[in-house]
Amino acid sequence: MTDVAVAGNRTAWRGRLGTEPVTARPPLDARRALQLVLAAIWLLDGVLQYQGFMFTNGDNGFSGMLAGTADGNPAVIAKPITWDANLIDHHIVLLNAIFATIQLLLGLGIAFRPTVRVALAASVLWSLGVWWFGEGLGGVLNGAASPLNGAPGAVIIYALLAVLLWPADRQVPAPFTAARAVGAHVARALWAVLWLSLAYFALTPANRAPAGVSGMIAGMEGGEPVWLQDLQKAGASLIGNQGLAASVVLAVALVLIAAGVYLPARITKAALVLAIVVAACIWVFAQAFGGILAGGATDVNSGPLLALLALAYWPPRTAPAAPQAVPAVSEEPAASASEQEA
Amino acid sequence: MTPDWILDIFAAVMLVVAAVSAARLVAARPWQRGAVVTDTDVSHLLMGIAMAGMLASSLTTLPNGAWVAVFAVLAVWFGYRVVRDYQASGARALAVGHCAPHLVHSAAMVYMFAAQAAPAAGGGGMGGMGAMSGMSTLHVPTLAFLFALILIGYTIWDLDQLSGLRQGLALSVVGVASPALAGTTAGVLGPEAGTTALAAGSRAANGVDQGSVDQGSRFTLIPVLDSPGIVVGCRIAMGVTMALMLILMI
Repeated sequence: MTDVAVAGNRTAWRGRLGTEPVTARPPLDARRALQLVLAAIWLLDGVLQYQGFMFTNGDNGFSGMLAGTADGNPAVIAKPITWDANLIDHHIVLLNAIFATIQLLLGLGIAFRPTVRVALAASVLWSLGVWWFGEGLGGVLNGAASPLNGAPGAVIIYALLAVLLWPADRQVPAPFTAARAVGAHVARALWAVLWLSLAYFALTPANRAPAGVSGMIAGMEGGEPVWLQDLQKAGASLIGNQGLAASVVLAVALVLIAAGVYLPARITKAALVLAIVVAACIWVFAQAFGGILAGGATDVNSGPLLALLALAYWPPRTAPAAPQAVPAVSEEPAASASEQEA
Repeated sequence: MTPDWILDIFAAVMLVVAAVSAARLVAARPWQRGAVVTDTDVSHLLMGIAMAGMLASSLTTLPNGAWVAVFAVLAVWFGYRVVRDYQASGARALAVGHCAPHLVHSAAMVYMFAAQAAPAAGGGGMGGMGAMSGMSTLHVPTLAFLFALILIGYTIWDLDQLSGLRQGLALSVVGVASPALAGTTAGVLGPEAGTTALAAGSRAANGVDQGSVDQGSRFTLIPVLDSPGIVVGCRIAMGVTMALMLILMI
């Protein structure tokens, strides 16, 4: 007699044991590790959404914050935002509870292997919705976007990560994790578009103004712990009125990062390290850890997501054998690959 | 202000965790010789009660100081266990051992009860979550954030390991698996789940029949309580709720 019967009468989650493929759980690979970090960030976002501030309406509440993202956007973008903000204003408790729970479930769903695909797909849809209705397209169209304040919208990076970390393999072996699902060319192009857009936003008039950068850093001090305020004051005073120079330096760094993934592996790694350092500096100095320590954050902002994205482009330790493009896998094999990885 | 009904839902979840842990303790028949009473069940029971009291002031049971003492003892105990695990398995014990998450949980509980900046609005000075819905805050909010991050990390890891385990158990079930795999199970889920998994794994390898395996379980009365998913599920619920409380109290 085997132990199938033993296991079979214990729990529901083991109920399908007899029908499952007999495979050892594979070790945690780079893509799964990055998926788990993404899941953790979604979970943290969900928890943040339960904060008391999120359940308040009016101009100074959550709905007012949403309505404010319509400012300066074209009417076709702004009107739905205003409509949405009004709707939320009238049903703030119920809707925000739903929003928070959705984000919580997205995090848990990505972490739970059988639901990773559903959760990632849902996260893309949710991110796109939040990008429009919650972030006003990240200020891309109204001139408010800056790499320092989370442009092009932190939440759109969630969607990008979900696509790049999708559990399927289009290119085997892939030169880096982000290339596995969409192929190296597409992955590199997405990377370049993101970082070049950040470089562009760094040089917009509002951001290259003399006090543009330092003012943005100083504006994040309110409500933060003393040690973080001191850090931000130091950063703001270091830049002072040299906003133009700071913006140019930042833009150059961002262009180098964008180009880095097209260069040989050693230079790519240097560019990715630079990307992580820039993301960390932005997160600490300009975004104050997303404002979480001040008690009014809606998410972690873009810093950690940019760093996570950079890790998805990190070349493997051993260079893969001659990359060969293979046709997109069909649904069944993809599911199988996902099962195995997951 | 976070609505009370939301906090009440989380309080109810914590009471369920406490009830499940209590049932596991009873099912282990601690009054019998050789009974195995696991520290994780004791810890889940106490944390469930304490957190429910923090979330809903009507469920408050003990003063803050008493809970600080209780969880300080638990933290010391799990700290000792982690050190022992570390000596046996190295840094891997922090990632896959079951004691490290419980150490973090216990330490976070000590912090939450000890660092409240304002007494509870409706909790009679006992930390009821008038405290939270009344936006009581914690001293050293950076520490709250760090605790929340670690708790979320362990929660995500637990979920991944739990779901990944399904395939691993399938392996042991058909006898292909080795005791080593079951040993991994024990590491992830704790000794209470691991004992059974280890028994199942080794017996599968040795071709032992069902009856002898069932004799190895300490949950013959309520077999569902023996599910590894129950233990980890409790820990996941606790991790999410604790992270929520920490963030709300920043």
